[in-house]
Amino acid sequence: MPARRSRALLLLLPAVLPTAAVLGVALTVAVLQSTGLVPVVGEPEPSLAAYRELAGGRALLDGLRVSLGVAAASTALALAVGLGTALLARTTRLGGRLLRAAAAATVPVPHLVGAAAVGLLLADSGLVARTLSVAPGEFPPLVAGPWWAAVVAEYAWKESAFVALVVLAALAAGERELDETAATLGAGPWQRLRRVALPLAAPAAVGAGGVTFAYVLGSYDVAWLLGRSSPEPLPVLAYRLFTDVDLARREQALAVAVVTTVLALACLVLTAALLARTTRRAPA
Amino acid sequence: MPSSRRRLPVSAALVGAVLVTSACSGAPGPGAAGGPSTTAPERGWDEVLAEADGQTVDLWMYGGDQLGNAYVDDVLAPAAAELGVTLRRVPVTDTADALNRVLSELQAGTEDGSVDLVWVNGENFTSGRQADAWLCGWTGQLPSMEYVDPEDPLLTSDFGTPVDGCEAPWHKAQFVLAYDSAAVTDPPASMDELFDWAEANPGRFTYPAPPDFTGSAFVRQALYAVAGGPDEVPAEFDQAAFDEVAPELFDRLAALAPSLWRAGDTYPQDLAALEELYAGDQVDMTMTYGPATLAQQVASGALPESTRVLPLEGGTLGNASFLAVPVNAADQAGALAVADLALSPEQQLAKADPAVWGQYPVLDPDRLPGDVAAASAALPSSEAVPPFDELSRDADPELGAGWVGPLEDGWRSDVLGAG
Repeated sequence: MPARRSRALLLLLPAVLPTAAVLGVALTVAVLQSTGLVPVVGEPEPSLAAYRELAGGRALLDGLRVSLGVAAASTALALAVGLGTALLARTTRLGGRLLRAAAAATVPVPHLVGAAAVGLLLADSGLVARTLSVAPGEFPPLVAGPWWAAVVAEYAWKESAFVALVVLAALAAGERELDETAATLGAGPWQRLRRVALPLAAPAAVGAGGVTFAYVLGSYDVAWLLGRSSPEPLPVLAYRLFTDVDLARREQALAVAVVTTVLALACLVLTAALLARTTRRAPA
Repeated sequence: MPSSRRRLPVSAALVGAVLVTSACSGAPGPGAAGGPSTTAPERGWDEVLAEADGQTVDLWMYGGDQLGNAYVDDVLAPAAAELGVTLRRVPVTDTADALNRVLSELQAGTEDGSVDLVWVNGENFTSGRQADAWLCGWTGQLPSMEYVDPEDPLLTSDFGTPVDGCEAPWHKAQFVLAYDSAAVTDPPASMDELFDWAEANPGRFTYPAPPDFTGSAFVRQALYAVAGGPDEVPAEFDQAAFDEVAPELFDRLAALAPSLWRAGDTYPQDLAALEELYAGDQVDMTMTYGPATLAQQVASGALPESTRVLPLEGGTLGNASFLAVPVNAADQAGALAVADLALSPEQQLAKADPAVWGQYPVLDPDRLPGDVAAASAALPSSEAVPPFDELSRDADPELGAGWVGPLEDGWRSDVLGAG
């Protein structure tokens, strides 16, 4: 066993090394810059001023609230839709193929293109408003509105396809045989869903959900295009500070980036813990 | 057209990468202070041209303007090739990206930087000077500078920062508001009347949220109106003056907010978003710092045919944009040669043609050779946009770059936050 394990680790190296190198260097520099050790102007001097200034203002708290809210809503929707799609896809052969193809086609669409498309659809004078011939003033403010509806919709749509594909892959490993066996033993459809399909899908869904949450938390483009001017999600705040006229703001920008990264990492650690639990409980 | 801080929505894709790339390349190293010399060596122009021959110049510029890209690729680059210089255009989504690249390379101690020439003005120029990132004292060497009025206030100071030969003039620009003459029958004639008009027509006006370049310019234009004219606001930032005029400005804009699009609850993120609202008939006015673009958009049908520039009493803001050379540019002589070429009467005239790019020349008409002056007078005009001499009448000087940050911060906390 140890030999097999070390071989598995060896095979992972080509993926792990560049990731660790790029992330490690970028994060180290971000931490160094946010603590005043690599200033753009002036002498290096260690300080937590950037963090203190952020903690004193409203921007970071507002950003946390919006970013976590949008990430939670998008993840919940993506999980519900993605899981539903995957479970539906295994019931019929032709419908399953179609759903699978739809999910596979959605995943490679860049988020930016998705955001532009959602914007064209849901804007006040967008396609939906025009088709329903609603006057611009009366259409609900989905784009740039108070509920971030268009942003959540874009993430939920794109990420539900990702969830569906991951869950389908997990179910492909022997779910049909187990399902048929359970049916032979007299289990009804509801029982089979609860006792066979869901436990098999759970680890994949938890993993995909964690990845989705972390992704949405750190993503800029959709939130900027379809969001509103205030409050700003963390990545939008970080980028605005990074490009501020005042070069000293860069330290704050990188502090926001570090906070976002820590949150995303925390989310992934939590996911890993949850995953360990669901896998243990899942039938062997 | 302003080169700094203008963004298209498409730019969003790349910005995430910017944080990472600049963080990666900014490895700890000697700061800008110990870097290359910031003053260009004294030498004859022939010497510069001889050294430039065979060099490849990377011109980093805002890439979202198709006409500008076409002008550089199809007109300027072939002319540079005649000097033996290969001109390569590097499109960026925001001029700050180019500056970030220069700063990161300087931080890393790179002597042969990848940026040779940047289309820049305003705060990016000031930020670069703050970090000693620009080569200075070289524009006097350019033969084409003889056609430039040395006293021209727009060209001696860039948003209040002295130019000091650290950048060569390229275009002039004028801030304008435009309205749909089919919808607005009684166009306001001053900024104060504009505020009244917006309050009388709730939901039909808005402006891009600063720090968008155009939105920020609108706020400065509003500041002049509230303060009672450009003479009441010192060009150089001064905290006492700010404390005196800014509260009134923010009160006025906050009071205006409920009458804006979406009741001032949110603002378009950038000029492109405002233009979309205007083209979609959700608001009746738009604005731009590049009136030539407006003429093109009307001609192409992207904006309504009934679009007209709003003539404002007391004039509007004017500025110039420039070409700057980073201190660590690998092909410095080539960059100087291209900057001189771009300033030559022939290139300035070609660029002024609305069909080519429609950028206003920086040269003094009285100093131009006769044939160029005659040709520039004969350029075609647009019904939507009056000619430059009319637009730039009583042009207001830009405020110092020091004002931009505090005004944007104040707007964010007192106007946006209050809504």
